Amino acid sequence: MLSKSQAKIFFLGGTGVFSAAFLSLTIDTHRKVPAQTHAANITPQVAHGKRIWEDNNCMGCHTLFGEGAYYAPELTKVVERRGKPWLRMFLKNPEAMFPNDRKMVNYHFNDEQIENAIAFLEWCGNVDLNGFPAKPPLAAKMAASTTAPVVTTKPIPPIFDAMACTGCHSLGGKGGAAGVALGAPPLDDVYKRKNRAEIVAWVSDPPKVKPDTKMPKLPLSPEQVNEIADFLSSLGN
Amino acid sequence: MKYASQKVAYWFFASAMVLFALQLVYGFIMGFAHTGWDGLHQWIPFNTARAVHTNLLVCWLLLGFMGAAYFIIPEEADCELWSVKLAYIQLIAFLAVGVTAIVCYHLNIWEGRKFLEIPRPLDYLVVIDVLAFLLNIGMTLMRGKRYTTTSLVLYMGLFFAALLYLPGMITFDNQTMDSFYRWWVVHLWVEGVWELIMGGILCYLLIKLTGVDRELVEKWLYIIVGLTFLSGILGTGHHYYYIGTPRYWLIVGGIFSALEPLAFLGMAIYALAMAKKGGRKHPNKIALTWSLGCAIMSCVGAGFLGIAHTIPQVNMFTHGTLVTAMHGHMAFWGAYAMIVLAIMAYAMPLLTGRKLWDSPLATWAFWTSNIGMSAMTGAFAVAGITQVTLERRMGMDFLAVQHEIEMHFIGLLLGASLFTVGIVLFMWNFIRHGLPSDEAIGADIEGTPTPAQT
Ligand code: HEM
Ligand code: HEM
Ligand SMILES: [Fe+2]
Repeated sequence: MLSKSQAKIFFLGGTGVFSAAFLSLTIDTHRKVPAQTHAANITPQVAHGKRIWEDNNCMGCHTLFGEGAYYAPELTKVVERRGKPWLRMFLKNPEAMFPNDRKMVNYHFNDEQIENAIAFLEWCGNVDLNGFPAKPPLAAKMAASTTAPVVTTKPIPPIFDAMACTGCHSLGGKGGAAGVALGAPPLDDVYKRKNRAEIVAWVSDPPKVKPDTKMPKLPLSPEQVNEIADFLSSLGN
Repeated sequence: MKYASQKVAYWFFASAMVLFALQLVYGFIMGFAHTGWDGLHQWIPFNTARAVHTNLLVCWLLLGFMGAAYFIIPEEADCELWSVKLAYIQLIAFLAVGVTAIVCYHLNIWEGRKFLEIPRPLDYLVVIDVLAFLLNIGMTLMRGKRYTTTSLVLYMGLFFAALLYLPGMITFDNQTMDSFYRWWVVHLWVEGVWELIMGGILCYLLIKLTGVDRELVEKWLYIIVGLTFLSGILGTGHHYYYIGTPRYWLIVGGIFSALEPLAFLGMAIYALAMAKKGGRKHPNKIALTWSLGCAIMSCVGAGFLGIAHTIPQVNMFTHGTLVTAMHGHMAFWGAYAMIVLAIMAYAMPLLTGRKLWDSPLATWAFWTSNIGMSAMTGAFAVAGITQVTLERRMGMDFLAVQHEIEMHFIGLLLGASLFTVGIVLFMWNFIRHGLPSDEAIGADIEGTPTPAQT
């Protein structure tokens, strides 16, 4: 059996060897990270966005690269998932976007700060994270076992993306990620449940029609409401 | 206790208890928020509650470590503390910095990096404060007549903990590098140098409580902390799988972090073996219970629950979910909270001269808190595994999943209530000891006065 001095040598020697190995890997990591993270794309705007991220301790609720807290969603791929129009509207007033649900602090960001924060998150979304976050392996199996919904093949007018409708609802088989939690239905077959006048009333002010709804009142002009109602009711023809 | 200056340890322990109590309050705020009861959101949003909860944890553990060092080092070195005054100044300054940081978190002022939230100017004060502590302990060791392995390992742990705080202060525009060095603090603390501190304290307690020969106990201490660094240093790689660092970390981190539980397993076997071997029947049974409990619970929380998600293929899905919170709770509790409570259970009767070691209160405190913490770990585990399945494997939306697992947070709150009862009992027993007293100086380990005193 080892003597005490041999045990001491094991401790000091091991520490020395493994510290040296760790330091050499650290040096190599420093060399490789710029390419893997596309460091050249860290513009002043991205750097500024990172400071917004830190100054408000966003990591105290969210995770980024899987690091942080478990109260709010993982944000590495959020720009890809939600789209910029949705994010712009959401960051202006987070609670309005998820009424009657878990709350996020409203930081009263100005437009420039919002663009910076989004630029930072977009940069994060492009970092090569060795495959994280994984595509949900069971999602395809799940989809195969449910009946396919009605999906329109008509071209979707740009207003649905621009006003972030497709952030929560799917339409033409696209979008809807943000609305799954809220039970936001696909818009393709709304015409079956609501006539044009009802669509106008709903889109103009959802909580007025249904006070406990999770759909926010969006900043739409009457023309925009009409454009939306026209298209959705036309899907029945 | 042997030296009057050891009394200063009491004030570190008492401060630690206060911060611990406050930590639990903020834990409840977060637990309620997870169940949907977020009424405090406007004043204490989740990120504030979280930063306060985890920072108070780290602060009270550090105070516990410092208190332990102020108690152990004079006795091991065989001389009075170098400067009692410096110790008090250093304690008050530490508390002032901690309180300021907590106030800042309520005002949205922070650095915004998990566990290292404290605002930059306060970082410098922490460094100065810890240097003062290290100076005090270091001078005591140099002045003393002897250097024991126990005190050297403890000092080395504290010294490197201070050193490793520095990389956390480097800033980068690149989130990946930021995160890379954040782990030099977080990982290399809890899975590296803090294990030396834990090992040092545990070794001291085993020598005192079991009466096994010091040479043997200390030989095994070297082997265990050797295993810690052998696995833990390169084990840092288990945090470098998915943050934008090269792919080889999956292999390096996977292999070495899978070896990390060996050190904790070693610690548990070591403690149990020494307790069995020990001939001496020390009357302070509850201190031995906490010491053995610490060795076992750290093996479960850090070792078993750590390896459960450290393999890259598993971590791909559990990374950044409540599974991590499950492990974080039991690991911090088993390894570091329990070792601090163990040294308190041992030191309090010696500091105050009141032998409250076999009171039922102390036994109830041990079991209630441990059963409560196990229940909390179970609740986090069920919530975490459900989250992994629904969100990460099936692709359900985050918030939809959170609503599905709300009820497990009711379970968490029940476990936390039981845990809190245990901690309140511990604190009540702590208070019952009263203040440290000069009359306790020279009392031998059995707690009976030495002939010189009578
Ligand atoms: C007493 C020792 C330990 C403590 C106090 C501890 C605590 C923690 C904490 C608080 C975290 C979350 C850190 C963060 O996200 O910022 C964490 C993460 C982790 N720990 Fe430990 N740990 C310990 C030992 C271990 C051991 C021995 C292993 C492996 C066998 C391990 C494996 C992991 C892994 C894989 C993660 C990352 C989880 C993720 O990807 O989200 N831990 N630990
Ligand atoms: C009253 C008892 C407690 C309750 C209700 C509680 C609850 C919580 C909650 C809800 C979180 C946040 C998880 C999230 O981000 O969503 C958390 C984080 C944490 N708590 Fe506690 N906690 C309690 C006691 C403790 C104790 C005694 C310890 C240590 C010994 C501890 C250590 C931690 C750590 C290390 C984290 C960060 C975990 C991570 O980032 O993975 N907590 N706690
Ligand atoms: Fe780690």
